[in-house]
Amino acid sequence: MSGSNVKKGSSSRAMEWISSACRFAADKNDFRRNLLVNLGLFAAGVWVARNLSDFDLMSPQPVT
Amino acid sequence: MGGVLAASPPAPPPGAGSSASLGLTVPPGFGTPSVSSVVPPTGETKETPRRQLEAETPLINPGAFDECHRKCKDVFPLQMDGVRVVVNKGLSNHFQVNHSLLLSTSGESSYRFGATFVGSKQTGPAEFFPVMVGDMDSSGSLNAQIIHQLTAGLRSKLAFQTQQHKFVNWQGDAEFRGKDFTATVTIGNPDVLAGSGIIVAHYLQSVTPAVALGAELVYHRRPGEEGAVTSLVGRYTGSNYVATLTVGSAGAHASYYHKASDQLQVGVELEASTRLQDTSVSFGYQLDVPKANLLFKGSVDSNWVVGATLEKKLLPLPLSLLLCSFLNHRKNKVQVGFGITVG
Repeated sequence: MSGSNVKKGSSSRAMEWISSACRFAADKNDFRRNLLVNLGLFAAGVWVARNLSDFDLMSPQPVT
Repeated sequence: MGGVLAASPPAPPPGAGSSASLGLTVPPGFGTPSVSSVVPPTGETKETPRRQLEAETPLINPGAFDECHRKCKDVFPLQMDGVRVVVNKGLSNHFQVNHSLLLSTSGESSYRFGATFVGSKQTGPAEFFPVMVGDMDSSGSLNAQIIHQLTAGLRSKLAFQTQQHKFVNWQGDAEFRGKDFTATVTIGNPDVLAGSGIIVAHYLQSVTPAVALGAELVYHRRPGEEGAVTSLVGRYTGSNYVATLTVGSAGAHASYYHKASDQLQVGVELEASTRLQDTSVSFGYQLDVPKANLLFKGSVDSNWVVGATLEKKLLPLPLSLLLCSFLNHRKNKVQVGFGITVG
């Protein structure tokens, strides 16, 4: 009983932390925070762009 | 991925038989033995031939200042609303007319008649001057541009915009392209009687074959008020990517363009405005499949706007079909566009 209560408590705390982190990141009122979040998103976008693998849309489909 | 000159061991000097690093002369085809017991850092041996190659490669013209972010911007889809029909008709090698009909749900529907004239003075492959482009809508509002190559390095442009009978915008610019730099001066809406106008000066210099640096100065004046805004731009061009940064008192604009393959190009943009106190990031990609006559562009940005356009050539007919859709999840709005281009 106490074990399941502890688990429920930790998962709800994790959900609370995630939702407060999302609210913090999405808050448009603070320009500096907004800039930092978008700089991080820009760096993530550059990382994704540089690590996209070369693929050919017209290559023949693999035979199953 | 990465630069052409990335990670490769230095090749033995071909034919000349000289070692740049040690100053010894060796027969052609023989490498120079290491005379130091200390192994040089790997970065040093990889950087030296790259610096030598950069020093030997002559600097080329960096292009126009306004084109610095162009490669990245071209990856993103253009927003379109309503139905658009464009008919292009070439009347001769020099003259072409077009009819554009726009039926819009959000704005006003319009019909525009346009004409393009291209002269016979050839300055390069597929470059003819003068070029005159104009279009007029059913209420008499005119947009017109005249572009002419005055000398080998000097190009001028005049642009006019009217709203019915009243001139709204008129500007002229002169662009000079040197061996390794581009300088442009633009005068916008000059009014000698009222003492108002805008002057914009651009300068872009190739510093190395990969790096270009530049500056922009905007001076505006009207009765009782005048001011100037400056910004600096830096661009780094790799083998398959271009990174550009513009920083000024009005804000910053960073863009990264990456060509992942012949079919896939990706662009990332960051815009920050100190005046509006707002920033945004956009991620866009372009899929080009020439075998299927298909061009697909998609984008997503930090304002929760997701958009895409699909352009398909309906060969053998001289038709192009354009489908466009933009969803703003934050405002719960959707914009859908449909277009056909004939000719």
